[in-house]
Amino acid sequence: MTTPPVLTVDLPSTPARLGAVRDLARALDAAGLGALSISGDAERGDLHPIHVASHLAPLTRALSLVVRTDAVDVEPFHLATQLMSLDHISGGRAGWLVETRTDDEAAHVVGREALDPEAARRETSDVVTVARLVWDSWSDDAVVRDAETGVYVDAAKLQYVDFEGETFSVRGPSITPRSPQGLLPVLVADADRAAVGDTVAEQLADGRAVDVVLDPDATAQEIAGAVREALGAAGIVGAELDPQAADTAAASAAPSTPRLVRLVGLLGQQDPADDVAQSQRADAGEDAFRPAELASRVADAAAQLRADGLVAPAPSAGNTLREQFGLPRPDVTIDPARRSDRARTAQKETAR
Amino acid sequence: MSSTTAEQTTAGAAASPADTDHPIHAAHTPSGTIRLGVFFQGVNSSTAWRAPGAGDQVAWESFERLITTAERGVFSAFFLGEGLRLREHQGVPLEFDVAGRPDAQTLLAALASITRQIGLVATQNTTYNDPVDLARRLQSLDLLSDGRAAWNIVTTDNAWTGENFRRGGYIDHAERYEHAEAFVDVARRIWRGEDVDHQGRHYHVRASGRLPRSRQGEPVLFQAGVSPQGRDFAARTADVIFSPFGDLERAIDFRHDIVERTLAAGRSAESVQIFPGAEFILAATDAEAEDKLRWVREQQVGPQQAIALLEQYWGRDLTAYDPDGPLPDVDPLVAESGVTRGAGFQFEKAQELTRAWREEAAQKGLSILEFARSRQGSRGSSFTGSYDSVAEQLAEYARWGAIDGLNITPWLIPGGLDDIVDELVPRLQERGVYPTEYSGTTLRENLGLPALA
Repeated sequence: MTTPPVLTVDLPSTPARLGAVRDLARALDAAGLGALSISGDAERGDLHPIHVASHLAPLTRALSLVVRTDAVDVEPFHLATQLMSLDHISGGRAGWLVETRTDDEAAHVVGREALDPEAARRETSDVVTVARLVWDSWSDDAVVRDAETGVYVDAAKLQYVDFEGETFSVRGPSITPRSPQGLLPVLVADADRAAVGDTVAEQLADGRAVDVVLDPDATAQEIAGAVREALGAAGIVGAELDPQAADTAAASAAPSTPRLVRLVGLLGQQDPADDVAQSQRADAGEDAFRPAELASRVADAAAQLRADGLVAPAPSAGNTLREQFGLPRPDVTIDPARRSDRARTAQKETAR
Repeated sequence: MSSTTAEQTTAGAAASPADTDHPIHAAHTPSGTIRLGVFFQGVNSSTAWRAPGAGDQVAWESFERLITTAERGVFSAFFLGEGLRLREHQGVPLEFDVAGRPDAQTLLAALASITRQIGLVATQNTTYNDPVDLARRLQSLDLLSDGRAAWNIVTTDNAWTGENFRRGGYIDHAERYEHAEAFVDVARRIWRGEDVDHQGRHYHVRASGRLPRSRQGEPVLFQAGVSPQGRDFAARTADVIFSPFGDLERAIDFRHDIVERTLAAGRSAESVQIFPGAEFILAATDAEAEDKLRWVREQQVGPQQAIALLEQYWGRDLTAYDPDGPLPDVDPLVAESGVTRGAGFQFEKAQELTRAWREEAAQKGLSILEFARSRQGSRGSSFTGSYDSVAEQLAEYARWGAIDGLNITPWLIPGGLDDIVDELVPRLQERGVYPTEYSGTTLRENLGLPALA
């Protein structure tokens, strides 16, 4: 039977609420939540979401940290190494919710003009492909530390990326060794489905995040009810689900398998005007949202949903996100043509 | 020691620091304090990865131990290096040195959670980052750490590194500082909340600064270039220079030069601090420290590393040479040793250099292995001695005001700071030349830098 989706709370990375976000992450971790998704929009004045996720890693033990971040208006090599670094730092608790920005503002930041939606989808697909090639550019056993031969890292266990796409190219290998999960789970949230496009959502992704938009004041009952409804619409009805149907679904449509249920909006509205008001309230010590209280509402909802087998059980410390999803850890296959000692091998061939 | 040093020093330095309040330059008053930082390079030949106790170079626990030890020792800063392509020799990644590290800022954002006062310095390249994106990331780090972030600005024109990035190789060597200066200007305007419309020679960026200022205002700027252009850039822009000049004589000369340039740039003499890179080999006695130095060099440089080091300059296969024999009697294959990529010394003249090395090794009777070990540590500065004699040596630096601090590269990860913090720091504190506690919570405060307007 397919593993039910992991319950996730979306945290916007607003600087004014940093203290409360830390407290909330700790409280949700203690309450057994599966994951946090961290969103950030620099144009609106949010902190960088990868930084926030990494900052929360040492403060939490078991929950996973899924970063929702743009694939397009960035350097793909930087993005890939930042995400795999988050996986190292969190001990395999990292994931990536792919976003595709097509607005002028995001493009102008990096000196580009906005891509048309179709070109942005193609680039997104290239960036996801490259990220995985970067993540797979070191074998798990590449660092050999052989005192006898003096070899620290074996070049035959590294491979170039050698990607040439329509809009960028990456040589590789990574500057970071392979991370605990090998490949970070790549997911597409409902909110981003159209912009990200079919290739990533239906062929490349490891799964879908079902978005459940909630009012900040939603009770545990309301949260659980909204999740039930959303999962029902997605074809997941928990313990009543026919195991055979679930297996077929998992095997045939892995990229669109619901892996996360993302609770969006619990921390309130995120428009700039509100942020100012929010920040003033936070300064005055009267921020509307109280971490402990919100964590207990989410924990109550999670308990109800888990009782029905609708969402995955609470993770334990040391669980990777892949483990929460029931996905195996993939091996690396070294491609002889991309092996990073190919220059030496070629010399030897010539010498012969 | 001080008198001979002073005689050899040009440029108006005093004969002894006791003679005057301004031993190096009339405009410069020594702070009387030496601070320490730790530089985790993560990619180099100075980490003795074969030594007993050498730990994982990527594991969170290694970084946690290093930074908590440093903070216990009232270190000002924890410093991460950056290289955006794996170093190679003749098209093959270097196999004998430690390699592979986490992204600097991603790691520092996490380390900010487990520390309270130590500064967090990320080395970040101006050539293969986007200025607005980098500015926002650094500002995020500054906010997450509540005012402890710094940026070590480095430049490159290296098209080989550019193969990992959208722009490829797009910048000339001569242009790199001009480019870096425009880049830093864009970053600062973003930090100050301005609307930026920068039409540079290489790109046109439009964006607005939207994040609030941190407790220290904006990230502290470190800079590491020491060419004349790099020095002027630092004098105009930087708060701290990460220099390679750690021996007292050269440190005094460098301070004098930087003070001149800083004054010419319209800034006060104390507005740019100097932190040379350093390695510490410490023991209970001077004799034990000398023995330890030999042992550390053996751990750092084995026969394979020695041959590999020479190959990087000779540009040819030298594996047939005996590491215990004399230096190769052949000339290098390349006029400019550009075959090793990403190691930072490709502009030295190979022909000249290898000839000089052969002569030096022959004169001293050194084998390849002995010569390679003698070279190790020479690019930074090595402080070898008993805890007391090194403490005394540093107190002399403080009296001169030759440096503001030292940026230590531990030869052992993660335990390489233990003896420094447990043995050296208390002796420096007894001599009144090292902080006994953090003077504030921000990096700017803890370095004693002036507050931003």
